[in-house]
Amino acid sequence: MAPSILHPPVQLSPAAALALSQQAPAILRSSPSTVSSSPLNTLLSGSEKPEQWLQYENLILSCLRTGDDQAAHACLRRLVARFGNDNERVQALRGLVKEAEAPDNGALENVLKEYNQILGENDANIPIAKRRIALLRSMGRLSDAASALVQLLDFSPTDAEAWSELSDIYLSQGLYPQAIYAIEEVLVLAPNAWNVCSPTIAPDLSPMLMQRPSQIHARLGELQYMAASAPGAANGSSQKYLAEAIKRFSRSIELCDDYLRGYYGLKLVSKKLLNDGVKAAKQTDDSEFVLPDTHTIERLNELATAKLSEIVRHSAANDRGWRGYSEAEIAAARELLADDASAIKR
Amino acid sequence: MAQVPVQTIHRDPQLFYWILFPITIVMILTGVLRHYATVVMASAPKKQDQKTTREQRALIHGINVRGNHHVLSKPSFAARRDALTTAYESGAYLKDPENRGQPPANPMSDPNAMEGMMGMMKNQMAMIIPNTLIMSWINAFFSGYVIMKLPFPLTIKFKSMLQAGVATKDMDPRWMSSISWYFLCIFGLQSVFNFLLGSENAANQMAQQMQMGPQGGAQMFGPGVDPNKQFLAEAENLAVIEHYSVLDGVEQRLLEGIKV
Repeated sequence: MAPSILHPPVQLSPAAALALSQQAPAILRSSPSTVSSSPLNTLLSGSEKPEQWLQYENLILSCLRTGDDQAAHACLRRLVARFGNDNERVQALRGLVKEAEAPDNGALENVLKEYNQILGENDANIPIAKRRIALLRSMGRLSDAASALVQLLDFSPTDAEAWSELSDIYLSQGLYPQAIYAIEEVLVLAPNAWNVCSPTIAPDLSPMLMQRPSQIHARLGELQYMAASAPGAANGSSQKYLAEAIKRFSRSIELCDDYLRGYYGLKLVSKKLLNDGVKAAKQTDDSEFVLPDTHTIERLNELATAKLSEIVRHSAANDRGWRGYSEAEIAAARELLADDASAIKR
Repeated sequence: MAQVPVQTIHRDPQLFYWILFPITIVMILTGVLRHYATVVMASAPKKQDQKTTREQRALIHGINVRGNHHVLSKPSFAARRDALTTAYESGAYLKDPENRGQPPANPMSDPNAMEGMMGMMKNQMAMIIPNTLIMSWINAFFSGYVIMKLPFPLTIKFKSMLQAGVATKDMDPRWMSSISWYFLCIFGLQSVFNFLLGSENAANQMAQQMQMGPQGGAQMFGPGVDPNKQFLAEAENLAVIEHYSVLDGVEQRLLEGIKV
């Protein structure tokens, strides 16, 4: 799919982002630099379109990314001319531009001070609060960012984007139960979206909702798996995590039946379970998930292996309908399969 | 059956230029004027402070947990349910906890609610005043005679609509008086305004009155609703949920459903 200027450019490859930002001069030229609100003008030129402003916003993001600061400023000027200096989104975008241009840490500190000042005047300014958190995180002050996020989520607990960012921060700090809790919140807020945010690559909390095609179920499964294999996890709790991980991966495949990460995770977990030897521990209280029996795990493992090799084969041949998997994920899947094969040979 | 003789009334052709035209133009101009007056008078949407946001979103959060409980495992759902019910019942999310249990304040005394009502009043005024003026203008100058003949036949029922102000029993309903033309303009100029001002204009009062009817979403947090009661109700809703998880037996479903 060709990148569209109307989608937030959060997950573009560098080449695609460059292509977008190279459109900037043409777009800036093709639309008028000021929008007059006089009735005569609206009569002649038709009404303004919301897409136009979205376009400017996204242009700012990709221009900043590719270093075209001039175009970013031009877009920002138009947004300011239309919405005024005090608009929350505009404030956040202006902050973003300043952050991007900051030469050193001192300048970033200044931006942070500005954010604090804005928040002091209006503490319900969510875009600025989010920018502040993102800035704190990119300055490496993880615990500050986490506590600011918790504060944000206290008064706005329906913000899936913030929850997923919180989960990511906790994950990077190794706090698995907290990360799992946060990602479960995302799931509660968006139970059917299978392409919502899981900010695994570039943790920038842009004021728009991030869209990353990674299923939250699978993400949750990954977290559970990581929690289970973390050193220090007690045997009982690790089994509990693995049981839920295998269910989460199964669910993600059930929702999208050629989802590579789901199969990968399923294979990983079932392999681990088979290698460790499943003790079909009789769970005393029935409230928690129990591991399925060995036979089921074996069958799941087979299914995942077969499906993974199918995906790898087809995408190596570049078949129609099998494109769009990320190169890195395919390579990882191939490696996992090869690992498996060599183990059998020995 | 004898043919009814075609009624002919000799009218001054100038009637068309001096009455029909001016009424239409005046109607269009007032519509445009009303649109811009509404734009100017509209007060900016009031910013919510943090506490109000917190109160509303906490409730929505509870509703979300209740609606989507099946994506969670049983322990995680139980943890959330306990936390939310305790917080709801203790009033932890309320905007002003000291007002708990008191009857809700009179919406008339709440300045926020007053502002909303003032806005509505302003809109109503912007409709009523120009309409009254134009109607009295038409009544004063152009009443008492017909101004045009419609090019198609009509039944007798239309007489009262088209010949308002001309009390002649036998006249063909095709003849039309100026006040009727005015009413036709009120109802029929919407598309003209759409063309001139864009589709979200405030020029036509009819479209606005249609919108008055259903407005469910605003009522949830509207003035006069006691948030404490809402929270208690939501706590009860959460408590009665019989939890099941979408993950129950998902492996079996998967193995049955997906064939390689």
